[in-house]
Amino acid sequence: MTTQQTRPSLDDPRIAIPSTSEWYEPAPTAQTERQAEFLNLRDGEMFINMGPQHPSTHGVLRIVVKVNGEQVVDLDPVLGYLHRGVEKLCENADYHQAICYTDPLEYVASLFCEAAPVAAFEKLMDVEVPRRAQYIRVLTMELNRIASHTLFQGWMALDLGGITPILWSFIERDEIVDMLAALTGQKLLYNYYRIGGVNGDLNHEFMSRLGNWMSRAAAQIDSNTGLINENELFVRRTRGLGTLDQATALRMGVTGPNLRATGVPFDLRRDHPYLVYPELEFNVPTRDEGDSLARYMVRIDEIRESIRIIDQVLHEMPDGPVMAKLPRLIRPRPGRAFGAVEGPRGAYGVYAISDGTDQPFRMRIHDPSFVHLQLVGPLTRGNLIADTMAVMASLDPVMGGVDK
Amino acid sequence: MDRALASALQERFSPTLLTPVRQRFDETEIRVSIADAIPTLRALHDEPNFAFEMLIDLCGVDKGEEMQIVYHLSSSTTGDWLRVIVPGVDRSAPRVNSLVSLWPGAEWMEREAYDMFGIIFEGNRDLRRIYMPDDYLSHPLRKDFYLADDASRSPAAGVRNMERAGTPADATRATALRKSSGA
Amino acid sequence: MAWSRLTPGGRALAVLLPILSIGGAALTALLIVAGPFIGATIGANLPIVRFLAASVITFLVTVPVAFLLIYMEMKIIALMNLRIGPDRIGPAGAVMSVVHGLKVLMKEDFTPPSVDVPVFTLAPVVVYLASFMTVMVIPFAPDLTSAGLEFGLLYFFAIGGLGVVGLMMAGWSSFNKYSLLGGIRAAAQAISYEIPLTLSVVGIIILTGTLSLPKIVEAQSGSLLDWFIFRQPLAAIIFFIAITAEANRTPFDNTEADQEIVAGFATEYSGMRFGFFFFAEYVNVFIVSALFSALFLGGSNAPINLPFNPDINVNLGSLGVMLPILAGLAPVVGTLIFAAPIFMVSSKIKGWQALLGGFLIFGALSTAVIGFWAWAMLPPIADLLFFLLKTFTLIFIFVWMRGTLPRARIDQLMGFAWKWLLPASLLNLFATAAAVLLTS
Repeated sequence: MTTQQTRPSLDDPRIAIPSTSEWYEPAPTAQTERQAEFLNLRDGEMFINMGPQHPSTHGVLRIVVKVNGEQVVDLDPVLGYLHRGVEKLCENADYHQAICYTDPLEYVASLFCEAAPVAAFEKLMDVEVPRRAQYIRVLTMELNRIASHTLFQGWMALDLGGITPILWSFIERDEIVDMLAALTGQKLLYNYYRIGGVNGDLNHEFMSRLGNWMSRAAAQIDSNTGLINENELFVRRTRGLGTLDQATALRMGVTGPNLRATGVPFDLRRDHPYLVYPELEFNVPTRDEGDSLARYMVRIDEIRESIRIIDQVLHEMPDGPVMAKLPRLIRPRPGRAFGAVEGPRGAYGVYAISDGTDQPFRMRIHDPSFVHLQLVGPLTRGNLIADTMAVMASLDPVMGGVDK
Repeated sequence: MDRALASALQERFSPTLLTPVRQRFDETEIRVSIADAIPTLRALHDEPNFAFEMLIDLCGVDKGEEMQIVYHLSSSTTGDWLRVIVPGVDRSAPRVNSLVSLWPGAEWMEREAYDMFGIIFEGNRDLRRIYMPDDYLSHPLRKDFYLADDASRSPAAGVRNMERAGTPADATRATALRKSSGA
Repeated sequence: MAWSRLTPGGRALAVLLPILSIGGAALTALLIVAGPFIGATIGANLPIVRFLAASVITFLVTVPVAFLLIYMEMKIIALMNLRIGPDRIGPAGAVMSVVHGLKVLMKEDFTPPSVDVPVFTLAPVVVYLASFMTVMVIPFAPDLTSAGLEFGLLYFFAIGGLGVVGLMMAGWSSFNKYSLLGGIRAAAQAISYEIPLTLSVVGIIILTGTLSLPKIVEAQSGSLLDWFIFRQPLAAIIFFIAITAEANRTPFDNTEADQEIVAGFATEYSGMRFGFFFFAEYVNVFIVSALFSALFLGGSNAPINLPFNPDINVNLGSLGVMLPILAGLAPVVGTLIFAAPIFMVSSKIKGWQALLGGFLIFGALSTAVIGFWAWAMLPPIADLLFFLLKTFTLIFIFVWMRGTLPRARIDQLMGFAWKWLLPASLLNLFATAAAVLLTS
């Protein structure tokens, strides 16, 4: 094609846009064994498509559910609706820009999405982060964890039909988000961590909001939680639903609160410590049942632990610089590094390969929601359609991270 | 940095390790060949003094001349991350064995590696694309992925400017193969 | 005529004033000329005329009630959610639901291509009619029932059950799996809860010996403790749960669970067709609340009887020709009297603002006075007031439940109906029958 050719337009008949009448139930061809099994319909079964636009799928996710009446026989999540090619983009950007690209992955808790690549790059550069910056990072990460968990609370109630808790959760989250906006200038995608420290010290506005919030945080969260926990309908819908046992969880690569709800006390802050967590005192809450209610309760307990951590950090924060001395152009030696943090959904890790230039050679992002979404199928099999949403809400996926 | 782990690994797996065990910060790294990958991982999972029960990550890497599969494991016996690199995967016909028999949760991670690099995992019963549409023709994260050429095969058939399949010379390459030394 | 230079209000006036004045004049002339003849015809066919008038008024009254319920729901749930809710359209957003109604009327009337057209078109009609026809037997006051049927309660349950047919029609005819699921869920839920619903009121039927709703209300007159909620508490609880399920309200709103099946049976409906379903649901809420208050809360009976009986006898006929003159002068004089202090309070208040304020105060005061006279002298007004008070309390409880509770799963819902409510209502029935037998 030369540049002289006329541009084709969308009215061109060669581009076939199917009309509505021929657009239902195209028989998909099976490419793999498992898919062939899935597409094989027995008597009485039908496919229901909880499509990418749906009031309740935590982002754009398409789930094809094979149902027999109301009972789910099998489940196939279809991903890719939010795939933005972040890993490829990061290969073409330099190290600072790569951190900005990773923010919108798990947009609900974006400071964790920044913390992991920053940790990996700092290992590549072999740079020591100042103590004050480490404390600030811990403080902001724990705040972000609380914000994410309160949102999870509201989301879960919303998926079960209660319309009030989500609005109350947003009120809680708004306070924290406004605090972080006073600190970083952004309300959702903070862009605050830099290689070697953070971008700017704490300011007065942030500290005063934080102080106000801390004085009533625990009580307020407890009262909001009571609306959901003590509701018989909520408990009956989640108890015993989607039970995951320890062995399966470990084999499926589950991390984070979903794993701790099955009884395994694995927390990166304890087992692969980073920043100043070795010096802080906190418990790692676990539950034994492994059902949706346990996953919910573990996150509520984690909120309380996070408040404890924030308290300790505020008391022990040292003075000092918040940014290490680094050259302006980041050009690490060739090598590999893996940095992982404990996000609100699990182990969020970044494997960075450097080839000596100023752009990362490969930046692999491991998102926990991606792994957890595999569980929706096995856990919902045999339950009703309404339980698909309950199970997915209890696993707390964020599609931004799943689809990268 | 867990020196005991390094020496235990060196002792146990020395015939199959391609390079000595490397350690940096809190990461321990070993390299094994394609044929030894699954037995090594199984040994790391089953043997009680290693007990690497948790698969943290599975990814593919395109080095330019070859491809690699990289596994990250975690154990309760040590505070280090263990990285198992399987180099030497042929770029023109990448095939390795699947980890699904050991960790069923690797299924989607292998699907992603297939989708992004074209690596075929033998033993994965559900190896189809996960992010890109089912009828997509190329593998995006490969170093020779050329966006304009690939996008012109999209359903809108090159209506948008960037989707025109011009010659490689008059469009900017997505990534250039760089000379990598020791990476 | 400078039509384009008129404001919208001016245009409305320019259109309405001629119509109203000419129409009013024509109507007056007609009444003067043919008045006696019309009067005789009406007098001869009084039952039919009464029925027609009552039905039309009942239907017309339910539309504003539906609007009011929609607004109540939006506002109350918003306040429970710590939001504000509608507050722009009209005072505190009160006109919001009217705007919603108009919007729904103005949308495109779209029928998806592969639906079963006659069934699809008739489904909203069936649901709407099923709700509205039951309004006719509700005993608003001892003399204010459209149709005081002898078997009113039976009629209510029979016609109310037709709504299920409409939901199934909607679910089946939309060429959509979500609608199908919604329709089947609706049918299963409604059928399961109809049995405890009807069985729980059999106790009342035994106690009063009649199916007629006005007579049941009459049987609760006397004192507060005569109300059936105290005489049949178990039946009241079962009935309350059953009507929550019949009206498809939270926690039993699986049929329209929009977190799971988009809009359930109404997924393919848009515009006024959806408006029918929407209205029918709110009218349903109103009528089941009205039924509960008629059956269990004493209907139009006052909770406590006032110790005094105000007797305001105003004989307006004795004024003679002064009546129209005073009726014309009173608003003007009243407005001026109330406007004067407003005008004098501050220099920033303009003349027309003071007059408007005065008019509003006069209007409120005269409404209060006439209202008090009506309540004292016309028994139906007081009865209607108490009835509506009880009904709206119940509606508030329904709205409250919607704002607070999550949803029950369909199998939990049906299990509850068959395994708990049905035996409980049978137990209630046997206990009532045994009590009646033993004490007679």
